[in-house]
Amino acid sequence: MAVPRFDFAHVPVTFAAYFNEQLRGWEALFPAEQAYFERLGTYLEKAPPAMFASLAELEPRMGVTPQTWPRGRFTLQQVDFLNRNALYPEWRRVITQIFDQINPVLDGEIAAKGQPRLVMVIAPADLPVGPDRMWTRLKGRGRRVSLAVPDDLSQYVPLAITGKPVPDLAGSLLDLCAAARGPYSAWSVETGEALAGCARKATQLSYEKLSAYRQRLMEEVQKIAEKGEVRGPRQLGEKLKTLQPRDAEYSRDPVMSEFVRATLLAGNGTLLVNNTFVEWATVQAIRRAKPSLVVANFGIRNKVKPFSSLLIFEDQDKATAIPTQADMLGSYVDLEIFYQYVFQEAGKYVEYRNNTAYLFLAEGMDEMHLIAPPDFPLSAGERAPLTAIYRAAREWLRLS
Amino acid sequence: MRTRDFLKLAGLSIASRILPASVMSLWAQAAEAQAKGRKVILVTFGGGVRTSETFSPEGLHNIPRLAKLQHDGFFYQTCQNQGVLSHFNSTASIVTGNWQRVDDFGFEAPASATVFEQFRKAHKAGPLDAWVIATNKSFAAMGSSAQREFGAPYGANVILPKQLLLDAVKDIVKKPSAANLSDRDAVHRRLETILQEGYESVGWTIFKGSRQMDKHVQSTLTRALGEFINGPEAPSSGDELTYFITREVMREFSPRLMLVNFWDMDVAHWGSYSLYLQAVTRTDRLTGMLWDEIQANPKYKDQTTLLILPELGRDGDQNTANGFLNHRSGDPSCRNTWLLALGAGVTKGATDKPIRHVDVAATAAAMLDLKPEGLAGQPAREILV
Repeated sequence: MAVPRFDFAHVPVTFAAYFNEQLRGWEALFPAEQAYFERLGTYLEKAPPAMFASLAELEPRMGVTPQTWPRGRFTLQQVDFLNRNALYPEWRRVITQIFDQINPVLDGEIAAKGQPRLVMVIAPADLPVGPDRMWTRLKGRGRRVSLAVPDDLSQYVPLAITGKPVPDLAGSLLDLCAAARGPYSAWSVETGEALAGCARKATQLSYEKLSAYRQRLMEEVQKIAEKGEVRGPRQLGEKLKTLQPRDAEYSRDPVMSEFVRATLLAGNGTLLVNNTFVEWATVQAIRRAKPSLVVANFGIRNKVKPFSSLLIFEDQDKATAIPTQADMLGSYVDLEIFYQYVFQEAGKYVEYRNNTAYLFLAEGMDEMHLIAPPDFPLSAGERAPLTAIYRAAREWLRLS
Repeated sequence: MRTRDFLKLAGLSIASRILPASVMSLWAQAAEAQAKGRKVILVTFGGGVRTSETFSPEGLHNIPRLAKLQHDGFFYQTCQNQGVLSHFNSTASIVTGNWQRVDDFGFEAPASATVFEQFRKAHKAGPLDAWVIATNKSFAAMGSSAQREFGAPYGANVILPKQLLLDAVKDIVKKPSAANLSDRDAVHRRLETILQEGYESVGWTIFKGSRQMDKHVQSTLTRALGEFINGPEAPSSGDELTYFITREVMREFSPRLMLVNFWDMDVAHWGSYSLYLQAVTRTDRLTGMLWDEIQANPKYKDQTTLLILPELGRDGDQNTANGFLNHRSGDPSCRNTWLLALGAGVTKGATDKPIRHVDVAATAAAMLDLKPEGLAGQPAREILV
């Protein structure tokens, strides 16, 4: 899709700057984002000036002038200008009010074309709690479902995703969805590589598989920090924009290449903590690509070692001779809040409202938590084998 | 205004007209003596912590020490950060009494005078009487402002223990020898070397006529480092070192005004809720230990007021960004924190009346018998006796 052009002369400059910034990175946007900005731009072109009256009145009071905010330009200085402005909270309020007027119109267009979606979140085995404490933040929503699980844990993920104890790509939910609705419609995000063997055509991200790229980024960040060339995270982010992944699987796709880079560098601890990577990448995928199917597979995070926790961009294994240990309890506490965040994120977008089934699974656990519309095809009662979960998901997504 | 308050104010205002000069002079002397003895320590839960993980019914178990101490002091349920939600500007607002909008990462000094400068200038206090001990390594410029009539000559000593530790650890990691981070002696040796050779490179500001660090200061810090490194438990936290250094500074120099900035809980940015909660509990423990030290130290006991507050909250779980990981939304979870006042002059109680970050410096100034002008903040009357 070519970069669209819009006439925003009537739109206040601090609002227009945000939009123009999105257009500048047009090639790196997912189709769902491009479609959204097309709709937004078309709407804004025709929007009555009254919609922006509060912002137009506020900008001069904030000190916004053609000198401080040349139209069509958006710089880090302008970001700082906003953040440090005494009227910043009011500016945010006004922007929110404007979007409160825009969103119902744009959402209405999307809701009319709604389709079933599914978010599957898999917790690792070995978490030190039972089903009663596994999803406490989701209590009051959905129901627990009794499961019959295989004795061999290695079969758990393939059964849930492909319906077979050994991965069967022909039946892969991820591949079937990608084949039907495009590669960005089905995502797997994981700490390890269990999901990697369950799909070929879907969009796949693995913290483990990105190891070489993560290490390179950490070294670069360390170098830049040591040279003292940057003042803060925003400047660092600008400097690191050129450090795209070299791994063959992403370098051919500029959209994913930029997504991976941005996820690792703008997502706080995503470079350092496996589960943070999975959470943030999942949240970003939902927010940006709006996939029909997302499978997030969390893992166990390592314990923080004495002293080495201070050196966040060093290789922790090299920095200390103390053996690496898994932090089961810490991982449980981390994940419990991440389940909530993933669930909430999807609920923010019209694409997911009222038509999304959320399946919270835990490897080896004989229960799962299900939040789904009433017509999700999984009946209550008997212990369901994982193949029944698989079939219900496939039917729900209408993947024949 | 309530009648009693009015009478109190009126009584004070007419006292100088009706009382004999000799009585007035005695009052003034007593006030001065009290002011000389009064000490104020500001403790910030730096990095940001939400009320939901601290003084909420479900958060109290994360802060067992403060939960108990709450009943011995005066508790403000709401302390608002109405300024820029970055670490440096938040803390700079707390210590200046004016909302600061300078560089977010500490490359600029606060724009208005800090309470340290006000204190040292007004009371002609010495360079060892005001300290900033901060885990946040970008706080090197927190001790003094860019104000021409104040500035470094009246500023606080600033020490950044975590930066010291970082430099030592980095140096050891880079050496290809067998020494690594599990070797406490190696870390200790390196820390001592940094103290002797290049403390300025780690961002400290120790006020002395020459660039040489005061020998007394150096030996005090070296001893604290030794105790830290060789302590019974493997130390893993910058905040633990901050506490040890603070304790040694108190024992050796008895400063009257200090800012102690704990910062481990900023690990929340890594996206680990459990590490964040651990840091909150550690900060609670260290703050409790600081209170114990005040009680055990005769130079502090009964004459010290401790003001404890988060420098900011963190985004709420419903927030669009990513909940507890960040603090940029400006939502109530991010802006509304709390303040606990303990110690000298503080009566037991609590209020839901909001106080603001800028009121902290104004309150500390009043406690130290200062009358700074041009503050946005107002003294918190509830804790001024």
